[in-house]
Amino acid sequence: MRAVRYDMTRQDVMERSGCGKATSSPAENYQLARRRTLQVVVSSLLTECGFESAEKATVESLTEMIQSYISEVGRCAKAYCEHTARITPTLSDTVVTLNEMGFNVDTLPGYAKRSQRMVITAPPVTNAPVIPKALIAGQKRTHPSHIPSHFPEFPDPHTYIKTPTFREPVSDYQVVREKAASQRRDVERALTRFMAKTGETQSLFKDDVTAFPLIAERPSSIPYLSALLPSELELQTLEETDSSEQDDQTDSENTPVNNLNDDPGADKENSVLLAGSVVPLVKVSEESMIDNPYLRPVKKPKVRRKK
Amino acid sequence: MNRKKDKGFETPLFLNVLTCYVMFIPHTTHQVVCINNINFQRKSVIGFVELTIFPTVVNLNRIKLNSKQCRIYRVRVNDLEAPFIYNDPTLEVCHHESKQRNLNYFSSAYTAAVSAVDPDAGHGELVIKVPSELWKQGDEMNVLKVYIEFSLDQPKGGLHFVVPDVEGSMAERGAHVFSFGYQNSTRFWFPCVDSYSELCTWKLEFTVDASMVAVSCGDLVETVYTHDMRKKTFHYVLPIPTAASNISLSVGPFEILVEPYMHEVTHFCLPQLLPLLKHSMSYLHEIFEFYEEILTCRYPYSCFKTVFVDEAYVQVSSYASMSIFSTNLLHSAMIIDQTPLTRQCLAQALAQQFFGCFISRMSWADEWVLKGISGYIYGLYLKKTFGVNQYRHWIKEELDKMVEYELKMGGVLLHPTFGGGKDKDNPTPHLHFSIKHPHTLSWKYYKMFQCKAHLVMRLIENRISMEFMLQVFNKLLSLASTASSQKYQSHMWSQMLVSTHSFLKSISNVSGKDIGPLIKQWVDQSAVVKFFGSFAFNRKRNVLELEIRQDYTSSGTQKYVGPIKVTVQELDGSFNHTLQIEENSLKHDIPCHSKSRRNKKKKIPLMNGEEVDMDLSAMDADSPLLWIRIDPDMSILRKVEFEQADFMWQYQLRYERDVVAQEESILALEKFPTPASRLALTDILEQDQCFYKVRQGACFCLAKIANSMMSTWTGPPAMKSLFTRMFCCKSCPNIVKTNTFISFQSYFLQKTMPVAMAQLRDIQNLCPKDVLNFILDLIKYNDNRKNKFSDNYYRAELIDALTNSLTPAISISNEVRTVDNLNGDVRLILEEITRSLNMEKLLPSYRNTITVSCLRAIRMLQKNGHIPSDPSLFKSYAEYGHFVDVRVAALEAVVDYTRGMHRTSPSEVSRTHPIPYVVHKILSMLGKNPPFTKAAESPLCNEALVDQLWKLMNSGTSHDWRLRCDAVNLYYTLFGLTRPSCLPLPELGLVLNLKEKKAVLNPTIKPEQGPDTTEMTGITMGVHIPGLITMETVSSVSMSSGVAPPPQGLKRKLDSVVGPLGSSSPEPGQVLQEEDTSKKFKIRFNTVEEDEIDMESPHDSQAFIHHHLNILERPSTPGKEPPAVDQAVLSLPVTPLPSSFGKESTSSSKHSGDHHHHHHHHEHKKKKKKKHKHKHKHKHESKDKERDSHAFSNSPASGRSARSPSMSD
Repeated sequence: MRAVRYDMTRQDVMERSGCGKATSSPAENYQLARRRTLQVVVSSLLTECGFESAEKATVESLTEMIQSYISEVGRCAKAYCEHTARITPTLSDTVVTLNEMGFNVDTLPGYAKRSQRMVITAPPVTNAPVIPKALIAGQKRTHPSHIPSHFPEFPDPHTYIKTPTFREPVSDYQVVREKAASQRRDVERALTRFMAKTGETQSLFKDDVTAFPLIAERPSSIPYLSALLPSELELQTLEETDSSEQDDQTDSENTPVNNLNDDPGADKENSVLLAGSVVPLVKVSEESMIDNPYLRPVKKPKVRRKK
Repeated sequence: MNRKKDKGFETPLFLNVLTCYVMFIPHTTHQVVCINNINFQRKSVIGFVELTIFPTVVNLNRIKLNSKQCRIYRVRVNDLEAPFIYNDPTLEVCHHESKQRNLNYFSSAYTAAVSAVDPDAGHGELVIKVPSELWKQGDEMNVLKVYIEFSLDQPKGGLHFVVPDVEGSMAERGAHVFSFGYQNSTRFWFPCVDSYSELCTWKLEFTVDASMVAVSCGDLVETVYTHDMRKKTFHYVLPIPTAASNISLSVGPFEILVEPYMHEVTHFCLPQLLPLLKHSMSYLHEIFEFYEEILTCRYPYSCFKTVFVDEAYVQVSSYASMSIFSTNLLHSAMIIDQTPLTRQCLAQALAQQFFGCFISRMSWADEWVLKGISGYIYGLYLKKTFGVNQYRHWIKEELDKMVEYELKMGGVLLHPTFGGGKDKDNPTPHLHFSIKHPHTLSWKYYKMFQCKAHLVMRLIENRISMEFMLQVFNKLLSLASTASSQKYQSHMWSQMLVSTHSFLKSISNVSGKDIGPLIKQWVDQSAVVKFFGSFAFNRKRNVLELEIRQDYTSSGTQKYVGPIKVTVQELDGSFNHTLQIEENSLKHDIPCHSKSRRNKKKKIPLMNGEEVDMDLSAMDADSPLLWIRIDPDMSILRKVEFEQADFMWQYQLRYERDVVAQEESILALEKFPTPASRLALTDILEQDQCFYKVRQGACFCLAKIANSMMSTWTGPPAMKSLFTRMFCCKSCPNIVKTNTFISFQSYFLQKTMPVAMAQLRDIQNLCPKDVLNFILDLIKYNDNRKNKFSDNYYRAELIDALTNSLTPAISISNEVRTVDNLNGDVRLILEEITRSLNMEKLLPSYRNTITVSCLRAIRMLQKNGHIPSDPSLFKSYAEYGHFVDVRVAALEAVVDYTRGMHRTSPSEVSRTHPIPYVVHKILSMLGKNPPFTKAAESPLCNEALVDQLWKLMNSGTSHDWRLRCDAVNLYYTLFGLTRPSCLPLPELGLVLNLKEKKAVLNPTIKPEQGPDTTEMTGITMGVHIPGLITMETVSSVSMSSGVAPPPQGLKRKLDSVVGPLGSSSPEPGQVLQEEDTSKKFKIRFNTVEEDEIDMESPHDSQAFIHHHLNILERPSTPGKEPPAVDQAVLSLPVTPLPSSFGKESTSSSKHSGDHHHHHHHHEHKKKKKKKHKHKHKHKHESKDKERDSHAFSNSPASGRSARSPSMSD
């Protein structure tokens, strides 16, 4: 039976040893003091049994076992007491618990009065750990009349009502501009530096190639595209500044792509080219009216075999 | 157009009285051009043409057509095989006496060569012998159908292929091809009568890939798939008689936009650019309406097409019913600066549709009428759209430009007349080129010619009124459109050609006025008038004594006799006086209307009727004169230097409402740095009523004045407080407002002011610290987030401002520039520049304006000694693959470097992918900023350079008239008209051993050789400048021949090797650099070996030339020759080469006449190589010889044509 119990507690030991290190808070100190007392108990018991020395790990395991055992007794006793709608456990609760755990209570007085028992000093008095107070923000609501006063209090309002935590923003125009400018500059500088560091560079100085690094130019196959088309950033700006105009256009322009594709007569390459890009406005509204030779279907070649 | 119908027409009476040649020209009535295959991969074109020719003479036995660089496979006349001769004397201009290195000689030879194939004189490169079976038919005047099969392989002129090097099909890559050329250059891409006066109707067929669109002249009748459905054929018909020179083509995967207001107008652009196209073209219909309204005439063609292409030759080129534009004209709605420019280009193109395409010219001498009218109506459009101020500003600008050119270079002659056919009497002896042909003109001259033409049209308008002017145009157009609808009556078609004579006749018919003197002065005579004016006020008589003197002795000036308008602003109003300039009268007395008065407070009436209050305290108490203007309406092509007191200029600036007067006074005030001038300029700057360009001018003038007044200047730096007040925040004056650019006037001012401010200098001649910090703050606080316009031009100008603020570094004993000894301010500037340039890589600006400015700034930093001078950065930016503006800016920096350092090696620049525009730019920039001139001594001026440049203009640029003339210009700038001084004396040149220069025979030339010898070992720019030029010009050919390192290690020799091809020769040092690249080229043509051929034998030299010509005509890509071409070559019947030079006997008429030489050439080369005795000789002589022999073979005068099949076959 002992062996079994030993096994059980060992796991606990291992679990606990993982945490409880590096402590300094009052709560931790309190627990440590009690634990040390338990170790003293274990050691004295071992001495009683005739051991001259024990490995630290063994002592630790046994301490863990004993602590678990005591904890379990306490937990069960409390459970029994609460079961009978009381708050404080009585002796009988403990006795029932011990019995339940397979311990013969009758042997206890005899064991306590054994001759070779050692006297152990009481654990040092340390301050009981202070339970940290919860953050109190704002006024707690009092119970309305229909709720009895013994019911728990309402939680802090910030937990269920909005929490106004703001500072007065900087509204000084100069500062704002200053900030915006330096922020943009910093971003740009960081970005270009990064690009320069990660890619190829060209240098203006021979002695110090890192001084003013220039991102190496890269010839492009179609240089006019990037030079002529507005960048995405600019497009964004444009959309922001006059989004309404843009919307009108795109709405009306997107429709004809389908029309064109459905139209069996549409130029093959036209539909290919125009799909995805914007299609002239005209084609939508007056597609039928426009007679432009470039929009006419491509004729099939005359088949001569029939002749 | 049905060709059969052509047979039905009656006797043509097309006989031109003006040119006697025309009688012998058979008249073309209809031409079919069919291009079956366009291969983008190989850059080749295959097709045929069929000309319907009406013989106007009995016994027509030869037909001369124009054709360049085409390979002609067969010619058939009425289904009979016809022998032909293909002979292009312009391929290599000077054949004889190639020791000749003087430009006079070249010019006359070049003119002769161009004349020899001048279609207007009935000549041509391609002479077809009409089969004798058809001779007798001549009596019956039957039509001849000339059918010519031809191909083009890697054309360097005429057609330009743009094939981006990316993945995907040709359509996905955006590959396209378009025709281009300067003046009549259609002969470069199909055989035709390449004259503006030879009109015929057209049927054009182009078979292209199904994913491509072929845009050409006339109406698209139908598009038909080929049987395999992978290609389609575009059938165009142009029923309006049109000159071959006005025919064009562009093929590409274009996106199509139909003009919303006019469905007959279609726009084409390259993939992805459609949104830009839509915006840029949204304005076109208004231009159409404007022209149709003023001309009271419909647009003559039934449709109009605009095509936007990359790597365009010029920004705008107009052809019958279509115009080809540079794709760089497209812009989005966010771009401010490009918008007016693009609209102006569109307007120019459209004006040329009426005059230039629809109405063509009778002869080259009549070109001015067309250019004049199109330029004039374009001016009317400018006036209507951009306002009178802009128009007058433009006229002044054009006038100043032209006057400056004429005074510098000598006159521009609009209507040259050449007496008696042979031009013994050169009407323009002051020019280093002939103006007899458009193809011999300098590009700059041609620009100024156009400028002068429209200015003269304006003078005519001044004389006969605009109403009559427009009536004349309308008359010309309606006559032409009546004629154009006359089918098959080609004699009527001459109504579609305008001549000086007919134009003047309709002016006199319509207006009843005699404009003879005006025409005589400005059209038949070159040069401008230069006036000097001064005055004195005679108080007793109350008379203004005006003295107007003329300078008519210096170059480019002429004497003016006639009326001149003088406007005098007096206290009582503005009065116009018309004075007569006569032979001997210098002084003119003009009575004044008002007495001087000081105390009367009264408003002063101005010319425009406005009455203003003036502070008269500044003026002379005794004189009632406020200001005087000579020829205020610019009705004389003149330069006026007028002297009046500073306060008069100030009054003129403040109160004269004419922008031209304001600009003149701004220019004059530069000489009067006084507080009063400062105040006047500041007032103008602040006046938002004032034209923005005047205000921009005032900025720069103010900066100059401030610098002159440096010691007495009080207050903050000029314009700073003004700028702060106008553009900075009220609450924090050091921070600029966020950009809105809603008012364009203030936008332009905001852009200009910092640039002008940066020109300010303090006592140490540095840019004041205040100003620099101010500009840096502008950059820092620039905020465009809320702006619907792009700020790229503004930011670019801020960089320009930084550039302007730079001053030469204080250098301590020529130390090397390092980062550590960088001046603090310069460090700040450099930081801004690097950041901006780096940001451009991530967020490129429109047209990369910021990159362009940054490159300029870096060059300026180098030039001022702040950072080490090094062209490598610019060279990398000049490579193909960058936006063209960036390349040009980078090349400009390299050119500048060349000048500054007197040594460089910028040769590999822009090596690959020739873009004619870029080469043209390089040459003209070199001309503008030459590394040395004929006056100055320079180590760069050496024989190798002379040779290279000579080669370039002699043969290297035969594919592009403009480039050849650019090369001539450069040669002129560098060496002048006579033999370059660095060359050894001609007699000695014969025996001069160039390889071993130490053994120079004549000690007198030794000093001149000094730099040359050093050049052999070291790297000098001598070769490199042309290298720079030719690399792109001759591209692959030059690569293949020039770069190959000499096996014998003859460095000197290498230079000469390149010569005949006009290609660049690498410097010895450079070869080392290029060894990698050269290896692959080496395999191709054994040019070095060829050089070894002993040219004594005519046979060999002949083969040699042909080989070269072959290369020139048919360049191939480095690497491998297109296999199909090889097959074509082999499949051709190889006829034995005539062993005797004199008897070019038999050879097949089918082949183009040069392939077989290739083979022979190699055989003979081996034999003759051993014969080679004097290697040194060959440096000079081989080329000369080969040119000599070439002259025999190719000169039309020689009457022999070696490379062509015999006529007597």
